[in-house]
Amino acid sequence: MLSLKKISKKMGDFHLKDIDLEISEGTYYVLLGRSGSGKTQLLELIAGLNDPDSGEIWLDGENITHKKLQNRGIGLVFQDYAIFPNMTVFGNIAYSLNAGKADKARTRERVNVVADNLNISHLLTRSTHNLSGGELQRVALARTLITSPRLLLLDEPMASIDASLKDGIKRLLRQLNKQGLTIIHVTHDYREALSLSSRVGVIHNGQIIQEGKPEEVFRKPVTKFVARYSGIRNFFRVIFRNTDGKWIAISENNIKFNIKGSFSEGEGLLLLRSDEIRISVDPPLESSNCLKGIVKDILPSEYGMEVTVDTGEIFYVDISAETYKQQPFSELSEVWIEFSEEAGIALQGQ
Amino acid sequence: MNRYGPFNWILLILSSLVLLFLVAPLLGMFIHTGLGEFFETAADKEVQASIWLTVWVSFSATFLFAIAAVPFSWLLARKSFPLKSVVQGIIDLPVVLPHTAAGIALLGFISRDGILGKTASAFGLSLVNNPAGIAIAMAFVSLPFLINSAREGFAAVPERLEKAALNLGASRTRVFFTISLPLAWRSIMTGFVMMFARGMSEFGAIVIIAYHPMVAPVLIYDRFSSFGLTYARPAAVLFIIVALIVFTFLRVLSEKRKPVITKSEYAES
Repeated sequence: MLSLKKISKKMGDFHLKDIDLEISEGTYYVLLGRSGSGKTQLLELIAGLNDPDSGEIWLDGENITHKKLQNRGIGLVFQDYAIFPNMTVFGNIAYSLNAGKADKARTRERVNVVADNLNISHLLTRSTHNLSGGELQRVALARTLITSPRLLLLDEPMASIDASLKDGIKRLLRQLNKQGLTIIHVTHDYREALSLSSRVGVIHNGQIIQEGKPEEVFRKPVTKFVARYSGIRNFFRVIFRNTDGKWIAISENNIKFNIKGSFSEGEGLLLLRSDEIRISVDPPLESSNCLKGIVKDILPSEYGMEVTVDTGEIFYVDISAETYKQQPFSELSEVWIEFSEEAGIALQGQ
Repeated sequence: MNRYGPFNWILLILSSLVLLFLVAPLLGMFIHTGLGEFFETAADKEVQASIWLTVWVSFSATFLFAIAAVPFSWLLARKSFPLKSVVQGIIDLPVVLPHTAAGIALLGFISRDGILGKTASAFGLSLVNNPAGIAIAMAFVSLPFLINSAREGFAAVPERLEKAALNLGASRTRVFFTISLPLAWRSIMTGFVMMFARGMSEFGAIVIIAYHPMVAPVLIYDRFSSFGLTYARPAAVLFIIVALIVFTFLRVLSEKRKPVITKSEYAES
């Protein structure tokens, strides 16, 4: 479907470097990166808004690197929607059809169909000046979908809409993808990536640093940057040691973690997901990693509560609100935390 | 009154002085013109013909040169090219030139010995002492107003709107006419009115190229130098009133912008 080969582009101080990317038909690809990471620039190169300095872009077996953007058949929905303010909603959606001089009845019919699908039929005669963020976004989406693009590019589609509307948009995008539309969706929000993508690429400083299925990327981040992105907050600088055939990681504060897998001796990072750690007032009966500590802080989080425990190292533990209600601990209580050998994610050479 | 400090008072006095300086001569001229003289001048066929000539030649010059100048302004707003700052300097040149010098330069260009004059005379047209020559002189001194205003208008149109239109399959020409031009319309019209006004008021360059047929500024000068202030004043007042009416009309017209696809067109489709 889409293939990027060694794409490079220098823009001021910023540099997209040797980007290689393969996206097959029907994929929902989420490109994840912070602002300034180069994700929007990459999207604009694919759409043809800018030309790369070097490298090639192939779409369906055709080299489109220098093809005019009008003829690429790639739909792009801009982050700020780029709605034409001098036209009505109808004018915006019908814009591409007028370019092809389609007859008026057919134009109206096609606009009505796409407007119905996106639930904006009631807006067609409106000026675009007083529309909400969600409405503008659906107009922008309708305007692009009516061109029946081969590939849909979305630049931060959830960035300027209310949280209450996000679920509806996600449903719509998922549905479009199920109907066979290949989508590349650029975002800085890993939760969007988790809930939508069939593949994820993490872009940082103009390079794609990890790519794969979302569960692979988020379960096994290859760098600290990706780990931070996936919501991991427990990072420990450790030394990996093999003692009697078993691997341990020793933190700077001399906490020993039992870990499973194949490593090489030396320095590195050990990562632990907050939801992989269990917390209790009583010591666990049997556990490969079990530590006693003091509760430093308890804060509401999106999963329920986040408990900060000091065991000599600081651990962030996520528990559900239900579990929290059943636990008789509070700030400064003595508690036990435990996690399995498999829970630790080792990053070596970081 | 004590709410305003000395700084505000000084500002107020200085601003009033500037305004008075601008308004007083015009007001004086209006006051010194008797109604009888005014209506007599307004009925004068020579004055009428002169004002009409000034208005239509300046409008035609603005309109015809806008056809090339507006796309040129888009180019200046959007594209980078070698020596762009030199090009920008050339555009502003007529503003800093003494207008009589501009007239002398143009005369060399459009007289029978000049390139344009030779070409025109091949078609049996003499540009000197002809409305066409007047239009060229008007355009020469007033084009920067249109180009600079239109360029600023185009620069203010977000480039991503043009790119979004291209992404929707529109040609460059269609994007220009449906996105860039309508969105920069207000600035283009401001530039149009400015160029038109500057063309109408031009004297220095025109008087060298075409004393006859007489445009209004030349006629006012002619009457002043031949008959004196009293005789020139009513013609000047009349010309100012006509100019004000025309500009107000054009301003009102330029404020009205319509969307490319309107509600009624939607209902018809």
